[in-house]
Amino acid sequence: PDIAMHTATICSPTNIALIKYWGKRDAILNLPINSSVSLTLHTDDLKTITTVSASGAFECDQLWLNGKEEDVASNARLQNVFREVRARAGDLVDGSGKVLVEASEWLAMGVRVVSENNFPTAAGLASSAAGYAALTFALSKLLCVPKELEGELSAIARQGSGSACRSLAGGFVAWDMGSTADGSDSRARQVAPADHWEALEVLILVVSDTKKKVSSTSGMGTSVATSPLLAHRAATVVPARMKAMEAAYLAKDFAAVAKLAMQDSNQFHATCLDTYPPIFYMN
Amino acid sequence: PDIAMHTATICSPTNIALIKYWGKRDAILNLPINSSVSLTLHTDDLKTITTVSASGAFECDQLWLNGKEEDVASNARLQNVFREVRARAGDLVDGSGKVLVEASEWLAMGVRVVSENNFPTAAGLASSAAGYAALTFALSKLLCVPKELEGELSAIARQGSGSACRSLAGGFVAWDMGSTADGSDSRARQVAPADHWEALEVLILVVSDTKKKVSSTSGMGTSVATSPLLAHRAATVVPARMKAMEAAYLAKDFAAVAKLAMQDSNQFHATCLDTYPPIFYMNDVSRAIVYLVHAFNDAYGEVRLGYTFDAGPNAVLMVQKQHAAEALAAVLKYFPPAEHAAEGYVNRPELQTAAEAVTLPAALFATFAAPPQPGAVRYVYHTKVGPGAALLGEASSLAGADGKPLHPSTQQRVH
Repeated sequence: PDIAMHTATICSPTNIALIKYWGKRDAILNLPINSSVSLTLHTDDLKTITTVSASGAFECDQLWLNGKEEDVASNARLQNVFREVRARAGDLVDGSGKVLVEASEWLAMGVRVVSENNFPTAAGLASSAAGYAALTFALSKLLCVPKELEGELSAIARQGSGSACRSLAGGFVAWDMGSTADGSDSRARQVAPADHWEALEVLILVVSDTKKKVSSTSGMGTSVATSPLLAHRAATVVPARMKAMEAAYLAKDFAAVAKLAMQDSNQFHATCLDTYPPIFYMN
Repeated sequence: PDIAMHTATICSPTNIALIKYWGKRDAILNLPINSSVSLTLHTDDLKTITTVSASGAFECDQLWLNGKEEDVASNARLQNVFREVRARAGDLVDGSGKVLVEASEWLAMGVRVVSENNFPTAAGLASSAAGYAALTFALSKLLCVPKELEGELSAIARQGSGSACRSLAGGFVAWDMGSTADGSDSRARQVAPADHWEALEVLILVVSDTKKKVSSTSGMGTSVATSPLLAHRAATVVPARMKAMEAAYLAKDFAAVAKLAMQDSNQFHATCLDTYPPIFYMNDVSRAIVYLVHAFNDAYGEVRLGYTFDAGPNAVLMVQKQHAAEALAAVLKYFPPAEHAAEGYVNRPELQTAAEAVTLPAALFATFAAPPQPGAVRYVYHTKVGPGAALLGEASSLAGADGKPLHPSTQQRVH
């Protein structure tokens, strides 16, 4: 085996949804019951740095997150991301066009992932989303995924964690819910680049809380199963709000964007309260 | 003018909705966007006593509530109730059939109303609903509204305060939303009498709260105007829940009644959160009580407790008699009285004694690991389902010979 080690390091942002994703129509592919849209936050302030390395000498895949080794083999979502990016691996070519690693050779190499957030995990800001976006992007660079397949990375990140798909682009990013069963059309689309609205800023207030949180995947599953209001939200309220929000953002209409965002945040939490048993995320 | 004074004293209950009314389709007639159903609570524990007196010597209508005189002339709702009951006044006839006061004579008499609740207003339990039900019923007795028109009293009380219409009957009472524009078919109907379900009991946890509340009328108006989820609730969710709740109650299916009640309370509060600006009636203590109830049910492996919250932080828990001591034990464990307030913390000392003898399951502490919060709950009322408004004897009168309050308001529980 080729014991040389190949490596890539990337920096990936977090994002904050202004029209919320809450509820899956397919839990394995992470397909949502409604579209969502988010602000990608600046990596100058909050970021995930991820280094991925591949070598024939690595017998299996391993992952360290904020210094702690995580279980890869039994994590279906990690497996999904590794598998999907590997399936799109390309040739590693040097400056003169010489092929250093053929696409097929990557499959024989184990991958080691080291990932860190520059903010404390206890703050509740480090989400699966940021990590899976980082992993997907890092692997795509390491395994030389060809440019023409880059559009598929969003759908792959989504399979790791739904909202991860929005972190692969900057600025104002929509995640179109899609309609196909295989999820190939359920992915992110940039609505406006980062420099579209220079005046827009964000203050994140990290609130003290000792309560153990209900995980998003678990919570939204219970919501879909038990909340009559959630189905109505997804089918009737969100489509109109997505249109209104995108238009307001492109127009830089702050009052409209802020009002819609407040209403949608409250409605998301309302559907959590309408869940049985109820979920309280706000304190 | 006839200066003789005629008087009547009545006792009227409060009620707690299990499927909630929130939102009007007509704000003047108080017509709701959905039906609702409630438990009438027993007047042995919580009640409004109202004395009404009429005399040609009274130049205008006056009203004293818990000792304080209220403005009648500019209160449209009070005016509605006075007008509607007066329009249905009948003859006052003595034992031998002699007419003492003709129906038309009542119109020339002013009315003085003295009303008191036997629980503190600050507890958030005394609502417009109880008061308007009491007033409507009291006036109907004073002005001798004929029996055949008694069915219309519910619609009249409703014009004072929507949910008041449910307090005129005892037991389990539905308020059918109706469909006519004049609201004549928007009124209460008894689903089951008070003695239908002997084992059903209620624990009211009065929660400490200093926040000034958004009034129900104002809040529900904003909700109707701004919440997309509320319209869906009213049109699609509530009709099915009303059917299911009535059936479950008639079947005495506690788990089904409790679950539906919890879901509907949460959905009502969800529509308040979906309002713009959002309305928060429940506070941290309310939410802690919610967690406790779910943990309690999980620990016992079945639904033995249910909760419901109105437009305020107080919790109303439903429990069956055989589990009441355990339920109170859980409340005492996590929400003990503050040190200085242990005396009279529970209105039923014998129940408190029984609760203190209970050993709660270890699973409860594992699921609900929060530390006790002394003083978070101010006091606990134990009560049950009771009868509707009833006439009392003259000995219960709150008014003196002039129709004004006999004595300053003395409330049984001073906190």
